[in-house]
Amino acid sequence: MRLQLGDTGYLLPSMPGFTIEQRENLITNKSPEGNVAAWRAVQNRRLPAYGLDAALRVTRPPRWRRAVFLDVSPQTVGLVVDEVQLLPRAETVISPFTPLGLPPTRLGHLFSGAWITGQRAILVFEPKALIAYLQSLGEE
Amino acid sequence: MKKPAPGPRLHSLELPLDGVTLLVPSAAVAEVINPQATMAPVPFSQPWLKGVIGWRTLAVPVISFETLVGAPTPVNTATGKIVIFYPLSGRSDWEFYAMFATAEPRPQLLTRSEPVVTEAEMPDLPYIAAGLKVDGRLMLIPDVEALKKVFYPA
Repeated sequence: MRLQLGDTGYLLPSMPGFTIEQRENLITNKSPEGNVAAWRAVQNRRLPAYGLDAALRVTRPPRWRRAVFLDVSPQTVGLVVDEVQLLPRAETVISPFTPLGLPPTRLGHLFSGAWITGQRAILVFEPKALIAYLQSLGEE
Repeated sequence: MKKPAPGPRLHSLELPLDGVTLLVPSAAVAEVINPQATMAPVPFSQPWLKGVIGWRTLAVPVISFETLVGAPTPVNTATGKIVIFYPLSGRSDWEFYAMFATAEPRPQLLTRSEPVVTEAEMPDLPYIAAGLKVDGRLMLIPDVEALKKVFYPA
């Protein structure tokens, strides 16, 4: 799926468990404090969704419309996005790509491929590293 | 300066960077292209990794050698060139990488009579294996093994 974060699009490969929620179905964090942009209420739990800018820094995106929740252990995490688009597999040929240099997370680099369209490269998240990054953000 | 023994000629490219000039074998360079406005930044990457471009269906990381060696990053990279290198030895065949140059690389035909720069004459820069004086100008040869270690840390 293609995730729009600010002025930049990223791809997230298909995963066994994910949910896309509309903004109106979520509890928006009205406090200016904290990293969480919104929560999804599930039974007696609140699952956090974070807002990231194009550089993947925590932010409160003003125009987010949906959140993608990734159902993973130990805790489901979400990412609020301006737009999300499910792409047919046949339309996206992913080239392998590993960023040079030391990886920024303990699970490695945040990207494992890129979708090349002409001279433009759209980076493809490595799901485990992205999830580890989101889970590391916490509530504060 | 030592004078090496004469031998076969070596086709090389002189890569003008900001403040230094690199000398690389022509065979290491796949293509020289114009800078692309579509270069995608790579979040949380090393400061010397300036982004990734699409080239012949491949994703190619673009580095600033100046930033890598601790020199100031050139302010304007839009007026120079992007030099695309073949993958380093032992790496996968898709692992091309690229480097900013401040101008079009120039061919140099080395005769192996060019004086090797002594240690005292070498600038104090990492990732440099040796230096040559070509037409009286200092040209630095990158240390590809050191580059491999910093590009692909275990």
